[in-house]
Amino acid sequence: MKTIFKISWRNVWRNKARSLVIILAIGFGLWGGIFATAFLNGVIQQMFDSGIKSHVSHIQIHHPEYDQERLTELYVDGYDEVEQFLSESDEVVAFSSRTIASGMFNTASMVSGVEVIGIDPTQEKLTTDLKAHLVEGEYFNGEFAHPVLIGKQLADKVKVDPGSRIVLTFQNMEGDITSAAFRVAGIYRTANSGIDERNVYIMRNEMEELLGSDGIVNEMAILLNHHEQSGEFREKLQQAFPDHEIRIWSEIAPELSFMTEFSGIAMLVLVIIILFAMAFGLLNTMLMTIFERTNELGVLMSVGMNKGRVFLMIMYETCFLVITGAVLGGVLGVITVMLTGSSGIDLTSLGGEVLMEYGIDTIVFPTLDRIFYLNLSLLVLVTAVAASVYPAWKALKLNPAEAVRKE
Amino acid sequence: MTVIKTENLVKVYNSKHLPVRAVNNVSLEIEEGEFTAIVGPSGSGKTTLLNIIGGLDKPTEGKVTIADTDITGLSDSKLIDFRLKNIGFVFQAYNLIPVLTARENVNFIMLLQGRSQREMNERAEELLTQVGLSDKMDVRPNKLSGGQQQRVAVARALASHPRFILADEPTANLDSQSAMNLLDIMWKLNQEENITLVFSTHDQRVIDRARRVVTLVDGSIAKDEVREPVVPAQ
Repeated sequence: MKTIFKISWRNVWRNKARSLVIILAIGFGLWGGIFATAFLNGVIQQMFDSGIKSHVSHIQIHHPEYDQERLTELYVDGYDEVEQFLSESDEVVAFSSRTIASGMFNTASMVSGVEVIGIDPTQEKLTTDLKAHLVEGEYFNGEFAHPVLIGKQLADKVKVDPGSRIVLTFQNMEGDITSAAFRVAGIYRTANSGIDERNVYIMRNEMEELLGSDGIVNEMAILLNHHEQSGEFREKLQQAFPDHEIRIWSEIAPELSFMTEFSGIAMLVLVIIILFAMAFGLLNTMLMTIFERTNELGVLMSVGMNKGRVFLMIMYETCFLVITGAVLGGVLGVITVMLTGSSGIDLTSLGGEVLMEYGIDTIVFPTLDRIFYLNLSLLVLVTAVAASVYPAWKALKLNPAEAVRKE
Repeated sequence: MTVIKTENLVKVYNSKHLPVRAVNNVSLEIEEGEFTAIVGPSGSGKTTLLNIIGGLDKPTEGKVTIADTDITGLSDSKLIDFRLKNIGFVFQAYNLIPVLTARENVNFIMLLQGRSQREMNERAEELLTQVGLSDKMDVRPNKLSGGQQQRVAVARALASHPRFILADEPTANLDSQSAMNLLDIMWKLNQEENITLVFSTHDQRVIDRARRVVTLVDGSIAKDEVREPVVPAQ
């Protein structure tokens, strides 16, 4: 076995130029494939995280009719019991209880329809990236009385800055119109420009005051340790609170679910295309090798090398080519993903603003799970073995008597 | 003792369209220790006969018995194993494995037989010394002359302790001096170690050394003579 191994390895280097070409083709192909997959995965991962952390969270609790009507009076009954339950659950990282009303955002000269969201700043900071997304001004730090946070999109539209005075108008619990003046404390920007134009955040106690009622919570957003816990924890919550509507992220934002599924398929397709190209390149190289070495293979069979060993020799040669190329591509790929994954790739010059319209961050951090590398390694090996079968079979079909006479 | 026995061997190529009888009703017995040359013009069936005797090709009719084994009835895999244990081959174009050194080429056959590393090394050294290549053991074929490569091929053929050696035009690619050197070695092996040799050849120098000369014409034995060989000068 050792000698067959040695012969195969030396055979690989008999035609150095050809072997190097195929090794480099495999190496660069895999490098490109790994990087492209990591880039795509990074974009999707960031879009997903951004979707989850900007507002959606992993689970939301509402009044059963709230989703159709979106009325403030459809609130979560007994939300304090739910808060108690969430505080005692290990799966929960944080949660935010929100009061929501549709209203108007008025400046001296402009008006815009908005969703006014009353939040507990501490809860919200732990649950979403609202604070981290501030690009101007401050979070609710007490600098202004009656502070409001607005999105960059809305700020640009109505032309306000931090410190600007604005008026929010919405219906109170009695059905009367209520208005109050607020100061723009900060301007946030997420990767979702729709959210940036629609959502304005004020403190929940001030909102309840304006609504004329305490304990109004229309939405409870819950952040879990991992999104894969969502289904199981929903069941747990639903058992404890059967009268509430409890939905997980894939139901609240189906586009996030589609996106993760799509990314999986896209990555698979990309890998399959690369592996196919690699397989055909290998097949071509190995068939040429068999053709050139017909005489030698005939001699090996004549002197007593059995078919199993001939098959093994061809398979080893193919695997050596692939493994050498794969190690090269893999190392380059891992290094590139590590470097770009920590520094990020700035896409601002490639139309960052447009990308943000689609919820894509302007700085992408390519990333790949370890399991991807493991799966890719296995797939590469399977491809190598598969690509070696036909040339090896061709070698076995040689007639030794004819093969030894071939020049 | 009869080592090789062929009975009514027939080999027909392209049997459906243009049948060519490459070997026609050849019956032959070769005794242990014989130095036999199979001669004849090009296309007379020498190589085909050698291939059939060596189990590389199957006859259309007839049978080949090596020692007591009818090799025409063996499966492909059993035939490969049989060749490995019983037959040594020397080819016209040397056909060494180019990526292995002289020693490794000789070892290779023994490795296929499952010999120990120590045994392989000892035998390879002994054989390569015997063929005058003790100083070229760790050299790859591309660094050896044609004559030296053919001597490695002889050492390789002997490595497995075969019952006989089949050599297909072994001197055809060699210069005169190399051919004579090779023949001297083969002669010595035949005389001193009683190794059975079967050559196919056009080369008169080879024919001169053979004790038995079988002449083929159009696939049939035209003449089969035993005579005194020309003994090489000491």
